[in-house]
Amino acid sequence: MTTEPESSPPERVPATDLVIGMAGSGGDGIVSAGESLISAAASEGYHAMMTKSFGSQIRGGESSCRVRIGTTALHNPGGVLDVAVALNWEDFLRFGGELPVGDHTVVIYEEATKVAPDELPLGDVTPTDVFPVPIKDIAKKSAGTQLAKNTVVLGLLAGWFDLAPDAILSGVRKRFAKKSAELVEMNEKAFQAGIDYAKEHPLRQARPLARVERSTTGLMLLDGNDMCAAASIFAGCDFFGGYPITPSTEVMQYLTREIWRYGGSVLQAEDEIAGVGAAVGASFAGKKAMTATSGPGMALKTEMLGLATIAELPLVLVNVQRGGPSTGLPTKPEQSDLFQAAFSGHGDVLRPVLAATSVADTFRVTVEAFNLAEHYQTPVIVLSDQEIAQRKETVDAIDTDAFEILHRRVPTEGELEDYHRYASTESGISPISHPGLEGGNYLAGGIEHDEKGSPSVKGEVHVRMNEKRFRKLDPLLERDDLFSVEGDADAALGMIAWGSVAGVCREALALVRASGVRAKLLVPTLLWPVAERIYGEFLSSLERGLIVELSHQGQLHRMLRMHVDLPPGLEPLTRSGANPFRPAEVARQLTQLQNGGVR
Amino acid sequence: MTTVELTFKDYKSKLKPIWCPGCGDFGVVASIYRALAAIGRPPHEVAFISGIGCSSRIPGYTTAYGFNTVHGRALPIAQGIKLANPELLVLVAGGDGDGFSIGGGHVPHAIRRNPDLTYIVMDNQIYGLTKGQLSPTSACGSKTPTSSYGSLEQPVNPLLYVLSYGAGFVAQATPANMKDMTAVIEEAIRYPGFSFVNVQSPCVTYGGDHQQVKAHKKWMKGLESLEHDPADRMAAMELASHYGEELHTGVLYRNPDPPRTYGELVRERQEALAGGLPRERILESFIQR
Repeated sequence: MTTEPESSPPERVPATDLVIGMAGSGGDGIVSAGESLISAAASEGYHAMMTKSFGSQIRGGESSCRVRIGTTALHNPGGVLDVAVALNWEDFLRFGGELPVGDHTVVIYEEATKVAPDELPLGDVTPTDVFPVPIKDIAKKSAGTQLAKNTVVLGLLAGWFDLAPDAILSGVRKRFAKKSAELVEMNEKAFQAGIDYAKEHPLRQARPLARVERSTTGLMLLDGNDMCAAASIFAGCDFFGGYPITPSTEVMQYLTREIWRYGGSVLQAEDEIAGVGAAVGASFAGKKAMTATSGPGMALKTEMLGLATIAELPLVLVNVQRGGPSTGLPTKPEQSDLFQAAFSGHGDVLRPVLAATSVADTFRVTVEAFNLAEHYQTPVIVLSDQEIAQRKETVDAIDTDAFEILHRRVPTEGELEDYHRYASTESGISPISHPGLEGGNYLAGGIEHDEKGSPSVKGEVHVRMNEKRFRKLDPLLERDDLFSVEGDADAALGMIAWGSVAGVCREALALVRASGVRAKLLVPTLLWPVAERIYGEFLSSLERGLIVELSHQGQLHRMLRMHVDLPPGLEPLTRSGANPFRPAEVARQLTQLQNGGVR
Repeated sequence: MTTVELTFKDYKSKLKPIWCPGCGDFGVVASIYRALAAIGRPPHEVAFISGIGCSSRIPGYTTAYGFNTVHGRALPIAQGIKLANPELLVLVAGGDGDGFSIGGGHVPHAIRRNPDLTYIVMDNQIYGLTKGQLSPTSACGSKTPTSSYGSLEQPVNPLLYVLSYGAGFVAQATPANMKDMTAVIEEAIRYPGFSFVNVQSPCVTYGGDHQQVKAHKKWMKGLESLEHDPADRMAAMELASHYGEELHTGVLYRNPDPPRTYGELVRERQEALAGGLPRERILESFIQR
C-alpha cells in the first residue's frame, strides 16, 4: 500500500481552503493556538476543523494540531499541509504522515533550530516558501517572555494569510482576560509583532483565504466526545457508568458536569466491568443508560453485553476506537474494532453496530443508538474513533425537532394482569417492566428463560428465545435511512467507507467527479447486521471500486464478504491506524481503477 | 414508598429451588421472606440482585423483581439500580466465590460509596455449583478436586475484609439459629447505608462435618451473650479476626452515627444543579457567540 503524500500545488487564488499543521513540545501552546484559530475562523463564518495529535507522554512530549479552514463544508482534516509551523524539527517530524509537507507548503520554523532553509529535514520535498523566524526572540522582545511564542505564531499566520486578525486578537484577549490585564497586554504585543514580521517578509506569492458570506447564527464549535455526551442527554440518558480511558474519557467528563441537572447520575466505577454493570443495572431499573470506552475497555465489558442481550435490556455502548491490539496506540485513530463490536461475546448474538462519520454526525448516530436500544431492548454499539472524538469542528445548527425520541414499550394494565416479560409477539419485542411497577415483577438474568422469565434449559425454549431475539432486529435490514448513497447512483465506479474515513472519501468523490468521472460512494451508519439488500442495490451497477478502511485487515470488507457477493473489481484499500488517508490519494487510486490500471 | 401488611408467603415465589435438600440457603431465603414481611415493603418495590453460584439463584425464589446476573458483578449492577431508582429496597446476595474471589474487587468500592443496600453472602467455603472445588474462604490445607493435595493459600476473612474498608453494618448468622438470622437480616436492611451479612450457610453435599447445622449448633457463640458492644469497631475487628476458628453470630458492628448514603449525596447534587437548559436545547451551550 502506498502512503506517499502527493504534492500537487493548489491552483486557487484566493484560496478556498487552508490547511495548517503546527507542532512543538508540550507547553509551547500549539493546541491552544489552534483553538484560537478555529474559533476566530468560526466567528467569521468559515467552516473550520482542528485535529490534535500527541505523543503518549502525560506532560510535555510532542504535541501537534492540524487546522483546516474553508469556505465550504469540510469533511476531513485535509491532505498535504498548505502551511507547516515547526517550533522544533524533532517534534514536527515525530508526526510523520500526520503532518505531510509538499513542495507547495509554506514552511515556517523557529530560526533558533539553526537548520538552513535549503537543508530542511524533509527528504525529497523542497518547499519554495521557507521562513526561518526568530519566534522565541520576537516573543521575548515584544512580550518579555518566550511563553508568548504561540501568540507570535498566530500573528504570523494572521499577517501572511489575512486570517481574520481582529477575530484572532479578540479571542486571545478573551483567553487571557481571565488571568490578568498584564497578560492581555503582553499577548497583544506578541500578536502585533508577529503580524509586523509577516508584513516585512512577504510570501513569494500572496495566498489570502477567500472571504465567506455566511450566517454564523446557531453555529457550534465542539468535538465528537462532547457531541456524543450532549446527544445522550438529548436522547434521554439518565445514567452513565464508566471508567476513564483514552480517547473516550471526555464523554464521561462532560456528563459528570451536566447530567445531574436532569436528575441523572454518573458513576465513575472501579473498573470497566463495574461501569457497564452499573449501566445494565440502571437500565433494568427503567432508565436510559450508557457507557463509553475504547478497545481495551470494550474487551472487559463483553460479558456484560451478553447479559444485556439475553435479559433484553436497552444499553448504549460507545467505543471510541484507537490503535490496537492491547494498549496499542492510545492517542491515534484506527478502525480495527469492528470485528470486536460485531463478534465479541459468546453465544448466538446479534448486537447492532453503528458508526458516526463526523462530529455533527455523532449527534444523529448517538440519538439513533438510544432509539434502537430502547425500541428493540438490546445493547447497541456506537463506533467513534480518536479523530472524530477529539477533533473540534464547526457544526451548523441542528434541527433537533426533526428527531424522534423512542422509549421502551412498557406493559399495559391488561398485560400486567398475567405479565410475561418475554412474551412471544409477532415483532419479537415484548413489554418490559421495571422495579417499582406493580404487577410487572419478573426475574431477569443471564440464564436462558421462558416467556415468563423462569430459568429453563429446555432445548425448545432456547430455540424460541434465540429466534425471538434475532427476529426483533429484522427491521434493521430495511433501514435505508441508515445508509447514504452519494454521487452518481448508476456509476460503475464507487467506494464504500465508514466512520471518519467516510469524510475523506466524500472529498475524494468530489475530486474524482470534478475531473469528469462518474462515481459514487456508500456510507453505512449501520455496520452490523449487514443489510444485504441495501448493499446489493448499491453494488448492482458497480464494476470497480474501493472499500476504504483505516485498519490493516479491512474489517468491513471481510464482513461484507460473509454476506454479499462483491464484484471482483471492488478492492480493499486499507492501512493501519495513525496513517490517515488523504482525499487526493484516495481520488487518485480510484481514478487509476477507472482507467483499468493497477493501483 | 409504601408499607403494607404482608406475610412471608407474599415473598415466596412458585419456583422450586435447585438446592440440595438440607442446604443452608433454604434457611436464608426463609429469613429473607420474614424480614421483608416485617419491614412491609411490597415485593414490586424490592430489587433482588445476585451473581452466579448455588446461592445466587435466590432472587428467583422470591416474588421481588429479581436479577440473576453474571459471576461476581452483582454489586456494581445493584448500585446502578439503586442510583437509577433510590426508592427501591435493594438486596444483593451471592456466595463466597462470587463475593470474595471473582467479584472481590467490587466490595471495597461499594463500601466506600456507601449505597443504601444490603449484601448477604452465603459463605459455605466451597464451590458447590461446580461440584466441590476450593473457594476463597476454604481453610488452608483443604483437599478438593482442585486442591488434591491440600490448598496452599490462606482463606479470605470476609468479616475483617468489609470491616477494614469501613462498612457501617456487619453481621454474621447461621441457619442453625433461624430467629437470630431473621433478626440480623431485618436489621441489616433497616440500616441506612451499606450493610453486610455473612451467613455461614452449610453445603450439605460438599461441606465438611464441622460446617453443618448440627456442628454450628455446638460451636456458634451469640455476640450478645459475649456482651459485645456493636458500636465498638475495634472490638468487632478483634472478634472478626477469629473467623474460621470461632462462629460468632449477631451484629459485629453497627455504626452508631451512620454517615449520609451515596443516594442522599447524589440527590443533594441533583437538587443543587437542577435547572438550566432543557434536554431538547442542550446543544445551545456549544453555539459560538
